[in-house]
Amino acid sequence: MYDSPKAEAKVDQKEIKIAAEGVQVYYGETHAIKDVDVRIEDKTVTAFIGPSGCGKSTFLRCLNRMNDTIDIARVEGTILLDGEDIYDKRVDPVQLRAKVGMVFQKPNPFPKSIYDNIAYGPRIHGLAKNKADLDEIVERALRRGAIWNEVKDRLHAPGTGLSGGQQQRLCIARAVATEPEVLLMDEPCSALDPIATGQVEELIDELRENYSVVIVTHSMQQAARVSQKTAFFHLGHLVEYGETGQIFTNPQDPRTESYITGRIG
Amino acid sequence: MHDQHIASAFDRDLEAIQARIMKMGGLVETAILDAAQSLVDRDEEAAEKVRAGDKAIDALEELINEESARLIALRSPTAIDLRLVLSVMKIAGNLERIGDYAKNMAKRTGVLIQMSPIEGTHAALRRMAREVQLMLKDALDAYIRRDADLARDVIQRDRDVDQMYNALFREFLTFMLEDPRNITACMHLHFIAKNNERMGDHVTSIAEQVVYLVSGEKPDDNRPKEDKTSTDISVAPDAARLGANKET
Amino acid sequence: MTDATHPAAAPRPGRASSILEQDARTKKRNAAEARFKIYGIAAIGVGLFFLVVLLFAIVRNGIPAFTQTFIEVEIALPADRLDPDGNRNPEEMKKVSTFGYKPVIEAGLVQAIEAAGIEIPFEDKDDVADILSAAAPAQVRDMVLANPDLVGETVAFRFLASSRVDGYMKGRVTRDSLVRDKNLDAEHLDVADAMAEAGMLERTFNWSFILGADASESRPEQAGIGVAMIGSFFMMLVVLALALPIGVAASIYLEEFAPKNRWTDLIEVNISNLAAVPSIVFGILGLAVFIQIAYLPQSAPLVGGLVLTLMTLPTVIISTRASLKAVPPSIRDAALGVGASKMQATFHHVLPLAMPGILTGTIIGLAQALGETAPLLLIGMVGYIASNYPDGIASGFMDPNSAMPAQIYEWAKRADPAYYERAWGGIIILLLFLMTMNIIAIILRRRFERRW
Repeated sequence: MYDSPKAEAKVDQKEIKIAAEGVQVYYGETHAIKDVDVRIEDKTVTAFIGPSGCGKSTFLRCLNRMNDTIDIARVEGTILLDGEDIYDKRVDPVQLRAKVGMVFQKPNPFPKSIYDNIAYGPRIHGLAKNKADLDEIVERALRRGAIWNEVKDRLHAPGTGLSGGQQQRLCIARAVATEPEVLLMDEPCSALDPIATGQVEELIDELRENYSVVIVTHSMQQAARVSQKTAFFHLGHLVEYGETGQIFTNPQDPRTESYITGRIG
Repeated sequence: MHDQHIASAFDRDLEAIQARIMKMGGLVETAILDAAQSLVDRDEEAAEKVRAGDKAIDALEELINEESARLIALRSPTAIDLRLVLSVMKIAGNLERIGDYAKNMAKRTGVLIQMSPIEGTHAALRRMAREVQLMLKDALDAYIRRDADLARDVIQRDRDVDQMYNALFREFLTFMLEDPRNITACMHLHFIAKNNERMGDHVTSIAEQVVYLVSGEKPDDNRPKEDKTSTDISVAPDAARLGANKET
Repeated sequence: MTDATHPAAAPRPGRASSILEQDARTKKRNAAEARFKIYGIAAIGVGLFFLVVLLFAIVRNGIPAFTQTFIEVEIALPADRLDPDGNRNPEEMKKVSTFGYKPVIEAGLVQAIEAAGIEIPFEDKDDVADILSAAAPAQVRDMVLANPDLVGETVAFRFLASSRVDGYMKGRVTRDSLVRDKNLDAEHLDVADAMAEAGMLERTFNWSFILGADASESRPEQAGIGVAMIGSFFMMLVVLALALPIGVAASIYLEEFAPKNRWTDLIEVNISNLAAVPSIVFGILGLAVFIQIAYLPQSAPLVGGLVLTLMTLPTVIISTRASLKAVPPSIRDAALGVGASKMQATFHHVLPLAMPGILTGTIIGLAQALGETAPLLLIGMVGYIASNYPDGIASGFMDPNSAMPAQIYEWAKRADPAYYERAWGGIIILLLFLMTMNIIAIILRRRFERRW
């Protein structure tokens, strides 16, 4: 993302939204994430890049405790969201996931109407007092998801009847309907064609006004286009983390340079 | 003008970089005219200003190169976007050289001011500089409007600049033969004229970039070269005038 | 250079063979595949053949059960015999037993036959009454007790013919087969023929086969499967009400919530094994637990339903688990990602999607249970003769009854060939039941699947 280096210096003083320290993740005996420290800024798009199996998706899923659903996964270290440890015993993962939303690789709208897709989250979290409230929340979410104009006349049509790119934007709208603070995206464009990918990337750029976005992508070009900060993972380690323009023009670590220039897998 | 990219940030980046080129072009045009005017007016302060102003031009070129590199790294431009970025980098290089020549003009003007003026030459030089500046303006206009025909026209006009240089070359030879005391001044004036001619060539290069940007191909290599001084020994001083002056 | 205008020319140098000719391997492979196709078609053909034969046999043997021979006759109801007090008081008239009605009927029948001009070839003319079903006196008595005013009148009655006569009309009984028969003689058949000609005897569709109650061994003409149907129906209700919730809940727990350890593996293995346990074992279990320990009434549809529930549970659990597994995990992830708890994700999203499969499995389980006989043997639903309609819902569950397959088995056991025919008819009805249930399954499946 292009902001001139001088302009970046001014906004560099963003708040830290998520601070991870000494994070280790074990899948049974396998040590999947090794000692990761990273500070994710608010109102910024942060990209995690790295070769297959390097742990970027695993680390992403730690941020909203989705790894809890996997029996053999064990997480150590601290992850602070606005200063609060998300792995504290008092934290209910279900409540956490309303604050840290997630969008998945394959668009997965519920097999219900578009309206119900968006309304489900607010309903179960009790965010709407009455129907009018709920209607408003749904409209706001669909606008934020840059899909309102395309579906406003058919809110009760099934969500699965949309095209791939529209479905993914619907899933993004669904994720923002619960007013999260952080949006996690796990390779959101890998199942989409280039035009749909471009639309979703433009949407991500708009989303950073209101949310902190963390996106895992196996496309370096996508990370370059979309993010302001980039973290490079390799074999479970966080190798380098910095401003995107600098990572792609002059990375500090030779492993980063090798990966970006296509010299290692 | 063009269709928008889906990623609006990409459009913003491209517009920003073109804005910088236009700014640089404006600075260079001003430098040319000011340098020429300072020669005519024998204004040392003006010449000094032009020399100082070249720093800003150099800084802009560096900035443009940095930003182009970033754009290529982050956006992976293709087709017309790629030609645009490449042409921006080359045009910046050309502009920087033109700026240097203008600075050089101002430097020599500073020296010339301390010597007695030579009749008729300053105005001619200013005319030449003005012609180059108009060419540059048109070249940059052609760039912004993506007008390949205007660019081709600019390429052809370099012929006039070359011819002006030929004429001045003969005149300087004449002056130097007339009066050996003129030699120092004439040498400086000659360098100024040469610089102008080189500036014209760089403007032509800019115009060629425009054609490449629009059509994807370099224009044919029939860049007009009317500068005969390096090849033709028949460029002789004006014998008639020489003879007339000798008698006085 | 190959000439493009002659496609049959030799292949371009560099390629070993022409693709226009099949090589030996390809030919062998194609031949093998063609053979395989033929085997498949032959197998289907054999299966279809047996199916056709089976259906043909069922229909041919069972259809006659749906018709019955009736005799229409006017019987005079003498007051002196039936209402000695002359009060037309039903309480008093009850004292006259069915035995007392027999002569009335005999007299009436003889009179009607002679009135039609048919000769009665018996010494004792009353013998001709053997062509009537033994149920006739009871029928007249019930009529008189219900309408005492009819005493003294001559009323038209529609009697069932005796089962031998009925058999004769259906071609089952011949004059030769009657030689050693105690119930009827060949002369009876002549009278029957004559009565048929006169229009007093006819063979019509017999609703009481479908709706009526079972009858004693000596009266096959009266037997019907209706009460057994009700018994089956109540049992199915019990199975549905118990097996579906318990099975689905157990399945959801095992699939979604249970930790994956040795215990749950053990349970899984055992459930699959339970599905293969012989059904009679469940009968013994039912006898021991429900009847001997819990003292539930023997032969009741409730007990039968409980036993069949145990049998159907493994089927329901297995098919529910398969349906739950078939729901793509992306739906669960999406629900969890939006902040639903596991329970909400399961009940709001996974279960509705698994519904078609669950319903299909349940209905298949129900259909299987409908046709089970062995477990019912041990809890007594076969020995009992289902001869009364239940009075109400409660008695429908608790009163001793039979079930359709058990009834069919019982009929097939009895000596009288008329019962044999009824067994086939019962099979037809059972098959119709099963077909209906399958059609309901298909309709329900379609309904739920449209929501995808």
